[in-house]
Amino acid sequence: MNLHRKIEALGGAFIGALKSVRELARLWRGSLAGLVERDYPKGEIARQMYVVGNKSVLFISVTMGFLGMVMVMQSGQQLNRITGDLSQLGPEFLRLFIQEFAPTITALMLATRVGAGIAAEIGTMKVTEQIDALRLSGITPTSYLIAPRFFACVVMSLVLTIFAVVFSFSAGGLTAWSVFGLNPTLFFDASRVQVYDLTLGGCKALTYGMAIPVISGYCGLEARGGSEGVGTATTSAVIGSSFAVLLIDFLLSGIGFAFFGGGAR
Amino acid sequence: MSEPGRTAIDVHDVQLRLGHRQVLQGLHLKVAEGGRLGILGPAAGGKSVLLKLLVGLLQPDAGRVEIRGTDLSSGDEKVLMRVRRDIGMLFQNYALFDFMTVGENVAFPLARRGDVEADEIRDRVEARLRSVGLAGSAHKMPSELSGGMKKRVGIARATIARPALVLYDEPTAGLDPVTTQKMYDLLSADQEETGCTVLAVSSDVKALMGFASELALIHEGRIRYAGSSSEIADSSDALVRQFVSGSEDGPL
Ligand SMILES: Nc1ncnc2c1ncn2[C@@H]1O[C@H](COP(=O)(O)OP(=O)(O)OP(=O)(O)O)[C@@H](O)[C@H]1O
Ligand SMILES: [Mg+2]
Repeated sequence: MNLHRKIEALGGAFIGALKSVRELARLWRGSLAGLVERDYPKGEIARQMYVVGNKSVLFISVTMGFLGMVMVMQSGQQLNRITGDLSQLGPEFLRLFIQEFAPTITALMLATRVGAGIAAEIGTMKVTEQIDALRLSGITPTSYLIAPRFFACVVMSLVLTIFAVVFSFSAGGLTAWSVFGLNPTLFFDASRVQVYDLTLGGCKALTYGMAIPVISGYCGLEARGGSEGVGTATTSAVIGSSFAVLLIDFLLSGIGFAFFGGGAR
Repeated sequence: MSEPGRTAIDVHDVQLRLGHRQVLQGLHLKVAEGGRLGILGPAAGGKSVLLKLLVGLLQPDAGRVEIRGTDLSSGDEKVLMRVRRDIGMLFQNYALFDFMTVGENVAFPLARRGDVEADEIRDRVEARLRSVGLAGSAHKMPSELSGGMKKRVGIARATIARPALVLYDEPTAGLDPVTTQKMYDLLSADQEETGCTVLAVSSDVKALMGFASELALIHEGRIRYAGSSSEIADSSDALVRQFVSGSEDGPL
């Protein structure tokens, strides 16, 4: 009987997960449709872009600057031990940050800050029945609430990723120059960057930008009860979006490697 | 807008389970167009749930809900939207949009219609706020208001578009007796003017009896009493009598 219970619980969890995935897909489609219908408050997209971008730009720039410094210190030391040739450090650093670190770390930070914000805002509206009141006025919550956040997150994920590349690369170059005495013209060399790197990084940033508002919005809309429910929704939004970012990272990197050989040259 | 004699609300044998609780079990309710029905019942008896069923925010597990001849049980969003266009609702906890001013809240149902000029909307919002005793509060945010004020903003929002069916969930909870009477006078005046169908849930039995011509008492997911409000006090059902008189001895 105990085993029976466990199997039942497992099955229930599995069905729940499938339902959530279906619901997420529905929200994603609904957001796209909402952007076409433009049934959100006037100026809402600009406001959301400001909220997403402004909240995160300093945070992301500083974090990425530090990450750039640390990465250069670490890999510079390793290279010195192995080959002593640091000439490839800058170009390879840039490729790695464009395809991987800049979009992914940016997205992880967006998942915590912006994801939590979206879930708390929408969750509060849910538990105070504002969502019901909207629906009563003929509004689809997805079009009205999620679509503008969706658009803002997609655009800002790309913009902030570019910021992240710029800041990490600059900080990395300065570190290489001051710690290893590497000539900045050798480090700041973008000629090795391929279309593949830009495409992969861009695709990641775009996909993360879609996943975060959809997952966080879903958590908000599913909030139950009172402020406790909002708290739970916020936590699940952060965990869910962060996990989604890592999963997407893995999948897209895998696809890039399997079908395009990782852009190797 | 309304045609007296037609059925505005027809709830047939509705069953609804929420969580582990069978909230409604075989509830029947009919309200004629232009009627004023008061709904009474003990706390957690399913009154608010019933109102949500009537606007399709909840779907019954079994049974049928028809609003002005349209069956809501398909759950089709298009059908629901069409039906909801003619419904105004005051939520028990107001559900004011906290990102809008009071004026924008009240204007919202009207602005959503898209066929009313901005000037007219402004005038009507002002008039509505004045009639609920909140003249000059249009620019305030809901968070700056007291509970009773929020309630009145909710009433203004529910009625501004002159819907054919208005549902009030506790329209006077948290209001003092004088304001309560004023609110019911306003609801009556509105109803006489537009001829709409009104459903009001309230635990203030006395005030509700003065307002509604018909009363229904929900108990354990069923209608325990349905009839004229003048006769409810003489009901043969001891539970109903006890609820109305508010005495402590009895089956409740
Ligand atoms: N979304 C929901 N999920 C689970 N249970 C719910 C939900 N909404 C209501 N219930 C339950 O349904 C029952 C009836 O709730 P309802 O809000 O209709 O009561 P009520 O008659 O309006 O009471 P009150 O006079 O206190 O407002 C309660 O036991 C409540 O816990
Ligand atoms: Mg209630």
